[in-house]
Amino acid sequence: MTTVADTAQAPSRESPQTVESAIALTSIEVRFSMPTERIVSFKEYVLKRITGKLEHRELWALRSLNLDIRPGEFVGVVGRNGAGKSTLLKVISRVLTPTGGRVVVRGQVAPLLELGAGFHYDLTGRENVFLNAALFGYSSRVVQAHLAEVIAFSELEEFIDLPIRNYSSGMLARLGFAVATMFRPDILLIDELLAVGDAGFQEKCLARIHEFRSQGTAILLVSHQMEAIADHCTRAIWIERGQLKAEGPTDEVLQRYSEGFAES
Amino acid sequence: MTLSSTSAPTSPALRRQVYDSAKRPHPAIEEAQELVRFWDLVLQWSRRNIKLRYKRSILGVLWTLLEPLMLMTILTIVFSQVFRFEAGDYPYPLYILSGLLLFDFFNRSTLQIVEETVASLGLASRIYVPRSAFAVATVITYLVSWAIALIPLFGIMLFLHHPLSWALVTIPLGMLITALFALGAGLLVATLGAFFHDVKLTYQVLLTGWLYATPIIYPLEIVPPQFQKYFLLNPLYHLVVLVRDPVILGRVAPVENWLAAIGFSLASLAVGWWVFATQRSVFDYRS
Repeated sequence: MTTVADTAQAPSRESPQTVESAIALTSIEVRFSMPTERIVSFKEYVLKRITGKLEHRELWALRSLNLDIRPGEFVGVVGRNGAGKSTLLKVISRVLTPTGGRVVVRGQVAPLLELGAGFHYDLTGRENVFLNAALFGYSSRVVQAHLAEVIAFSELEEFIDLPIRNYSSGMLARLGFAVATMFRPDILLIDELLAVGDAGFQEKCLARIHEFRSQGTAILLVSHQMEAIADHCTRAIWIERGQLKAEGPTDEVLQRYSEGFAES
Repeated sequence: MTLSSTSAPTSPALRRQVYDSAKRPHPAIEEAQELVRFWDLVLQWSRRNIKLRYKRSILGVLWTLLEPLMLMTILTIVFSQVFRFEAGDYPYPLYILSGLLLFDFFNRSTLQIVEETVASLGLASRIYVPRSAFAVATVITYLVSWAIALIPLFGIMLFLHHPLSWALVTIPLGMLITALFALGAGLLVATLGAFFHDVKLTYQVLLTGWLYATPIIYPLEIVPPQFQKYFLLNPLYHLVVLVRDPVILGRVAPVENWLAAIGFSLASLAVGWWVFATQRSVFDYRS
């Protein structure tokens, strides 16, 4: 049996090259085929289909995108509106199946995209914890075992049995964050660093995110706030019109991105 | 291992699960696998629906009981007094109510599946969840309502001194088969209804027609014999017999009705599931 000291001294059996990536995207392609005009009724659809008047316009949200993210990496994603950043997150969280290429995601994905998904205002904070957690795939038995920690983290002990219609938006966000991060995921997807509650609570959230990272969670942060990316990310990627425009150390990519922005 | 107030344990559920887009099973199979994995969501969502229905007001529960009773009273008066339908050796109100509860379940649950599917589109475009979970939860919700509505039905049986037979225990099985049929039909309508608003409106009209095409408020015997064979093609007819025969005749429904009902339900579920699951990417890529 090896002791902690032994393993620490022994050379790592897994060199960085052989560590399995948390997220591996190969030639990802997402092509939307949208009708040129909005069709709202089935009758209209069938008529257009029969008369051959159904026209589609192709829209590439992502094109030949390759990306490899390892456990414990904190990667920032920059790009203009409509560049394909959100689509990228959807492909990784398997909400969207790419029309081409291959996605491999190892482990559990926690999307910090929609805090409090499925929250219902007539139900209590406690009831909503179970519902929200169920949407992430956590069983009620597991949630029950960790309920006290979730409530403690959200700092809502006094209000947890009140209907959440009485909560402030800050309280809702706190509860949502506590549920979304109740377990350390293998992959954390963040769309803009959330302004959750007061400064003290925000710090607590950031501390939890960084603790996840130090324990091996791969984090992807999409943001328009350059400072946020510069502060947290070790690596950054720049997406432009669905394609990877630049990839590398955060400051270099941010530098090129702001120059590119100045040009146009 | 002790946990500080800020640290969170590693996720126990779904851990080290690998998602590889190149190795995905067929959508219909994948949807079923994911539904099993998210079964707790189905139960939580059903509980939520039931809680919400009964939380709003005490009338919520009462309404579930009162609505079919009132409809039964009206229909009984209209059909037995005005049209003078002759029922067999059983009280006409029981005939109407037992069938009406089934139709009410089918009507509401299928329409609600369309609603829930449309409502979940936004959520399901941000978080991965098997969309069928909401449809299954809807069916469970209305099954519970149906079960509650059986209480006044049994109450009326006692009130009318109608014998309660052992055959009544087969009703839950009939309800379950009906639920599978409703799930399939609901998924099918929901797939189209998610894109086109006229689908739901058309389906609503169809439902009204379906009620009158099924011997629920009138006995099958008043239909001219040469047309009666066409009624056998109506899945709801067989399903109604399963839950009505134990009430009015005190017997288990004939085996041919069971077989037809099961056949129709499995076919409905297979078609509905297939269409719903294989059109998944269309949901994602809808404009």
